[in-house]
Amino acid sequence: MECFSLLRSDVPALIDYLGDFGEVIAPHGKGDVSYSFEVVRDSSDVVLDYTRTLLPLKKMFLPPVEKLMGFSLKNGSYEQEDVIVAPRVFFGVHSYEMQSILRLDHSMLSGSAESNYFKRRQSSRFVGISFEPDEFHFSESVGVVIEEMEGFDLFLNEVDGDFQLYVLTDSGQGMLNGFDKINLTEPEVVEGRHFKKKIRYHYNRLPRVFQYAYHSDVWADVASRCVGCGACTLTCPTCFCFDVQDEVEVTAEDGMRQRSWDSCMLSTFAEVAGGENFREKTINRTRHRLYRKFKYITDEEGLPWCVGCGRCTAFCPAGISLPDIVNELIQEDEKAQYHRTVRV
Amino acid sequence: MKRLQDVEHHETEDLYYPTMCKVTGAKQITEMEKWYELEMPDGQSLGHSPGQFVEVSAFGIGEAPISISSSPSKNGKFELCIRQVGTLTNVLKNYETGDMMGIRGPFGKGFPMEKLFGKDILVVAGGIGLVPLRSLINYVLDNRKDFGRLIILYGAKTPSELLFTDELETWKDRDDVELHVTVDQPDETWEGNTGVITTLIPSLDLKLNTTIAAITGPPVMYKFVVMSLKSKQLPDDQIYLSLERRMKCGVGKCGHCQINGVYCCQDGPVFNYVDLKPLEEAL
Repeated sequence: MECFSLLRSDVPALIDYLGDFGEVIAPHGKGDVSYSFEVVRDSSDVVLDYTRTLLPLKKMFLPPVEKLMGFSLKNGSYEQEDVIVAPRVFFGVHSYEMQSILRLDHSMLSGSAESNYFKRRQSSRFVGISFEPDEFHFSESVGVVIEEMEGFDLFLNEVDGDFQLYVLTDSGQGMLNGFDKINLTEPEVVEGRHFKKKIRYHYNRLPRVFQYAYHSDVWADVASRCVGCGACTLTCPTCFCFDVQDEVEVTAEDGMRQRSWDSCMLSTFAEVAGGENFREKTINRTRHRLYRKFKYITDEEGLPWCVGCGRCTAFCPAGISLPDIVNELIQEDEKAQYHRTVRV
Repeated sequence: MKRLQDVEHHETEDLYYPTMCKVTGAKQITEMEKWYELEMPDGQSLGHSPGQFVEVSAFGIGEAPISISSSPSKNGKFELCIRQVGTLTNVLKNYETGDMMGIRGPFGKGFPMEKLFGKDILVVAGGIGLVPLRSLINYVLDNRKDFGRLIILYGAKTPSELLFTDELETWKDRDDVELHVTVDQPDETWEGNTGVITTLIPSLDLKLNTTIAAITGPPVMYKFVVMSLKSKQLPDDQIYLSLERRMKCGVGKCGHCQINGVYCCQDGPVFNYVDLKPLEEAL
C-alpha cells in the first residue's frame, strides 16, 4: 500500500483527473445545511468537509424509484428495462458509507443475486475521505473507524488541512497513473478525532442484549414518540426494502412497473389483502427496525447492520436517537443482570 | 458475508420479469373464489412442489402471491384458486380461458415430501387453506402407495363457501381417504359436522409416531389447531404449517414478508413448527 501527500488546493485537479475513468459523483452542498451526492460538473463545487448527505449513497445502486419494465395493456405484453451503467467514480465517500455498500452487496447478491444491483455495483470505483465526527456519528461503536479503508480504491486522510492519499487497489493505482501532483510519503496516524456519540457496549455484545430485549419497556416509550414517517429507514444506508407498483399512462394503453423504496416503519408495510396486518402496532415496527440492525442479520453474518452514520437520528422529526435506544436497552440489561445476581 | 467479488455476472438474475402463461380453464367456484388452469409457454413445466406459490401479475395493477393448487404430478398444466379480496384479485376475476396471466415462480419451500413418504398424512385446512393443501392431497392420491393414511380435516364458514365440492365427494367415496368436513354456520340443508375445525381433532385416532400434520388456514386458526394436536401428544417436529404474509417479491429482497428475521417467501411459506416456535411474530 503506497501513501502520497496531496495539497488541499490540488484536490479539484485530482477530481478532474478521475473524470477520465468515469462519471465522478461526489458530495455537494444543498441549501444551507444539507449535502447530496451529485454528478460533478465543476470540481471546485465538491465539498470535502461535510457531515453526512441526506440520502445515502445507496440511491446510486438502488434508485429511490426504478423502472423495471414498460408494458402495453392493449397487447398484454411487456419490455424489460435494461440497466446500462457507464463507469462511475464515487469521490469523497466516508468509511461508514462504504461499509453500508458492502452490506448492501450481501443483501442484494446473496440468495438470488439481483442483476440490476450487480450492474450498478460492478461499474463503480470508490475514493474515500476522512471526516470529523459530529454529535450524531457513532460509527466507531459499530466497528467502523474514520480511517477504515475496506472497499475503497483510494482514500484521502486529512492531515493538518492537507491530505495523505492511500492507494489500496490496482484499480486505484491505475486511476493515479500520470497524476503528478502527489508525492510519496510516510503514512501518519492522525490524533484528536473523537466520536462524541457512543454505544456503551462493544458491538459484538449487542446481539446478546437484543436477545433479552424483545419485551422491554423501552419499545413502548420509543413507539409513543415515533410519528411513523419512515424517515429513519429512507435515510438508512443499509435499509433495502422496496415496493413494486404499476403506473398507467392517461391513455390507459401503456404503463410501467417500477419499484421504489419502502419502509417497515410505515403502518401498511406488513398488511395483506383482506386487512390482516402482521405488524399492526407502532411498537412492533420500531422494534423490528432495530432488530434488523442489531440481531437478525447480525446473528448470521457477525456484523451489525448499522454503520453508525447517525442519519436516522439526525433526520428524525421526533428526535428519536438510535444509539440512545441501544444504550437504554444496555442499561436495562445491566439492571436485570444485577437483580439476577442479587437473588443468587 | 457475500461479497461483490464472489459473484460472476452469469450468476445474477433478472428477478422481476413474469412469464406469460395462457389460461386454459377458468371457473367461478364460489361467490368469492375462482379456479384457473394455466399453461406455461412452449410446453415448459412449472416444476413446483406442493406448498409453493407463484407471483401472479396483471399489468397496470401489480402482483400478488398465490398458492399453487394442483399437484406436481399433474403434467403440463398447473392450477390456481384465487379469492377476490384485493385490488389485483378483483381484476383477475375477469380473466377467462384464452387470456394471458403473468407468472413468476414457483417460490419458497413447500412441504418436505422426502420426509412425508411412508407417513400418515393429516391435512388440516381452514377456508382457502385448502387451496395449497389440495396440491399435497392430490400428490398423495397420485402416489397413494407411497403414503400411509390420508386424513383430511376441512372447515369452512358456511356450506356455500366449501371449495372443490366435486373433489370432496370423490375423496369422501374413497376407502383410502378419511375426510371430515365441518362448517361454522350451517344452513338448513347441512347434515354434516358443525363447529370450528378444532372440534374434529379430539376424536381422531392417530398413530403418533408416523403421523405428519400439514396445516393451512386463516392466521387466527394456527394456535388453536397446534394446541389441539399437542394435546393429542403429536410431537412438534411432525407439525408443518403454511403461513400467509405479504410476499411481494418472492426472492427474499423486498422485506414485506419477514417474520422476525425469517423471510416467509424463502424459508417458508411451509415451516416446521419447531422452527416457528422461537419466532414471536409467527403465530
